[in-house]
This record gives sequence, structure tokens and C-alpha cells, in this order.
Amino acid sequence: MALVLKNRFCSFTAKTTILLLSVVFLFAPYDMAAQKRFSKTYSAGREVRLKLYNRSGTVTVEGWNRPEVQVQAYLEAPTAAVNPQVLDGVILINMVKDNYDRGEVGNVNFTIRVPHDASVDIETKIGNLNVSSVRGTFVRAKISSDGDITLTNINARLVTAENGIGNIFFDGDIQTNGAYRFTSMRGDINLRVPFNSSFKLIATAPSTRSINLGSFANSNMRSFGDGRRVTGQFGDGSSSITVMNQRGSIAFLRR
Amino acid sequence: MKEPAPVDPKMNCEECQQNISVFLDGELDEVVATAMRSHLILCSPCAKLCEDFSVILESCREGVPSEIVPPNSQALWCRINNLIESEIKPEPLPEEPRQGFLSRGWSLTFSQASAGVLAVALISSLLTVVGIRNYFEPTGEDFTSRSDASQTTLEKLLSKIGVVETPQEARERRMKEQQATIAYWTQRVQERRDRWDGRMRDAFDRNLNLIDESLNEYTIMLQANPDDDLTGEMMDAVLNDKMDLLREFSDL
Repeated sequence: MALVLKNRFCSFTAKTTILLLSVVFLFAPYDMAAQKRFSKTYSAGREVRLKLYNRSGTVTVEGWNRPEVQVQAYLEAPTAAVNPQVLDGVILINMVKDNYDRGEVGNVNFTIRVPHDASVDIETKIGNLNVSSVRGTFVRAKISSDGDITLTNINARLVTAENGIGNIFFDGDIQTNGAYRFTSMRGDINLRVPFNSSFKLIATAPSTRSINLGSFANSNMRSFGDGRRVTGQFGDGSSSITVMNQRGSIAFLRR
Repeated sequence: MKEPAPVDPKMNCEECQQNISVFLDGELDEVVATAMRSHLILCSPCAKLCEDFSVILESCREGVPSEIVPPNSQALWCRINNLIESEIKPEPLPEEPRQGFLSRGWSLTFSQASAGVLAVALISSLLTVVGIRNYFEPTGEDFTSRSDASQTTLEKLLSKIGVVETPQEARERRMKEQQATIAYWTQRVQERRDRWDGRMRDAFDRNLNLIDESLNEYTIMLQANPDDDLTGEMMDAVLNDKMDLLREFSDL
């Protein structure tokens, strides 16, 4: 009797093991396939505009030397719908609208390549935004809540970077008659610009009062409100830079 | 007095009936009247006839209406005519003395008219200047960041007479508008919030708490120093950030 029970127990254990292994092997490829990939290339003029409104995920935009826009997206489960549109020289990707009322949607990580002269307007609710090697009319990057903004090798006349909690780093040229605005709730704002730039500056850090002008400090710069704000002019002041960091620091670096 | 019919001491029915009318009028001689009474007591037909006569006479006395008196038609027509004329031509009311500016009419002197024209021209010019300045400097940031010290003399004058707002008044008005907008978007977010995933909710709450923390600090600072325009400007910026955060998360 004991022998029979032992055989039955062994048989049950073997079956259970096989069943568990089957489940693991069956679902493992499904998990790997859960991250889908979207890729599409659009022919574009030199001054194409990219408008991207993402929900969550990292967005990377790079300028390249081709008259086309390449959109690659990596979609985590539950996968979001991606439906780019081309309207009058504008490539529009609106992940918010395309996935409205869908409940939980996974991250979508974009890597987009645009002509160097393209203008870029990107927004996301959560996630990092990276833009590099772009010299179009404007670059705008906005994160509604958490995320870092990194703008490198930018040569645009109008630049705006805005986030909630996170750092902002700008490395680029300051054009004549340009306007540059950087605002954050909490984080570090670091601006790396050429020393031959000329601009009027309003930099405000009311909480930390940490405003470091570095090489750009001169007698034309004045401090107000017990060090909460610095205003002044560098060079002939032909462009304007406005920086506001509610609970973080501001620093200028010489390029 | 009527002449009664001659009666016999023992009056018969014919004599009685001839004197009934005079008897009922009380104008009959007492002797004859006594004889009639004696007869009426003994003669039922005559008594009945006397009674009928008496009822008729009584009813005639009581039923004589006053309206039977013919009206004075001339007087009546005069009254009607007066009434009609009073409706066509009402009597003029007694004139009350007029009061106020208009009662004086428009009979202004030349100096008064000139002063009025100059005053209108001056006010129009001031309003035009202010309008142009506001048109070319309309940004909220500039406006809310302005302090009493940065106001021009003209603006200070206009503020004092109430033509334009002071920077503090403008800030308070703007904050009320922002709070109303925030209340609207907060409600929208509450309706949508259950559809977000946990990571989205955490990020939203973290940023909203940070904003509210800053708002509380600035509120305390402004209470301590209402003329701190830089804090007022920061408050305005943070309120805008809060509006943006709520609006941008309400469409998820």
C-alpha cells in the first residue's frame, strides 16, 4: 500500500514539474514579445517640424544629415497605440490623444531622427527628454512632472525647457535676438553657453538662492531680493535668457 | 275737515259704509264716530269692509316711494356734463419745484462748458496713454512683477483715484482667477484619476505636493510682507505651474 502511494506521489510531482515548466516556457516568449517596436521613416523638407506628445517614457531626438524623419518607438506592455500623422510639413505624434481613455498604458520610448534644421516640440507627462544636434527655429521640451531635460549641441533662436522635478541641462549657442527660457520646480539647471554670447539675464532661485554665473559674472549683473534673483546684461544684450528654479540651483558654464 | 254723511242715531249699514273713509281718516264727528263704532261691533259685513279699507289705506301710506318723485332733470344733466368735461380736461396739478442738475437746464456758461470739454479731453488722453501702455506691455509676468516703486507718477495718480489697479490689487484679482481655474481642473483630475496607473498617480501627487509646499511658503511670506513683489511674482508662477499640472493630467 505504501509503495503504491509513493509511486502515485512521485507521479504527481513529476506532472506538476512538467506543468510548471510548460507554463514558464510558454509565457517567457510572450514577455519578451510584450515590448513591441514601431518604426517608420518619412521624407521631409529641411525645416520640418516635429510635434510629439508622449504619456510616459524616454524621448530622444537627434539631428542627422538626411532629409527624412525616422521614428522608432519601443512600446512596453500594455502597448499603446502609435499613429503618427503628417500635416503641412509637421510630423505629429500624439500619444495622449491616441490613447485617451485606455486606462493603463505602458511606457513608450521614442528615438527620433530629424534633419538638423528641424524644429522640435516635445512634451511628456513623465520621463526624460533628450534633444541633440538640432538647429531649427525652435526647440521646446516640456515634462509635466518628473524627468530630466538634456539639450545638447542646440543652435536655435527660441528654446524652452520646463519640467517639474528633475534637472535641466542646456549646451548650445545663444543666437542674436533669441529667447531662451528654462524653468523647473526642483532640480539643477545648468546652462553651458559660449563666452562670446550676449544676453540679458533674469535668473531666479527663490528657495536656494543658488545662482552661479561663473565666467559670466560681471559688474552689469545685480542681485535682488536678498539674492533670490540676479538680473543684468552680458555682452550687448541682444538676446534674453530667463531662468527660474523654484527649489533648486542655477549655474552657468563656459562652453 | 270733510263733511260726514248725516246719520241716524241707530245707524244702518248704508250710512255706515258712506262714512267709512271719513271715519278711517279720523275726521268724523265724535257722535257719529261713536254710532259707527257701535254699528261696526254689531255688523260683521260693515266691520269687514272697514277693515279692508283700513288695510288698503295703510298699504298706500307705507308704499309711497321717494323715487316716485320726479328727478330734477336739469340738475342731473348739469352733473353729467360737468363729469364729462372733467375727464376731457383734467385739472392741472399744482406745479412742484424741480430738483437736481437737470432742473437747471443746459444753460451753462461759456467758462463751465470750456472746463467740461477740457476735463473730458484730459481724462480721454490719460485713458489712451494707459491703454497703449497696457497694450504694449500686456504680459502677466511683467505686470505682476511690478512694484509700487516701478509705477510711473501717472500710474500712481490713476491708482489713487481708482482709474487703474495698484499692483497689489492686480495680484489679488489674478490670484482669484487662478484659484477658480485651479478648482475647475482639480475637479476634472478627480474624475480621471482612477484611470491612471500607480506610477502616474505617484508622480502627480509628488509634483502637486511640491507646488503646494511652495505656495504655502509664499503665502506666509506675503502675509509678512505684502509689498514683496518678487514673492508675489513667484506665487503667480507657482499657481500657473499648478494650473498646468492639473490641466495636463486631466487629459489622461
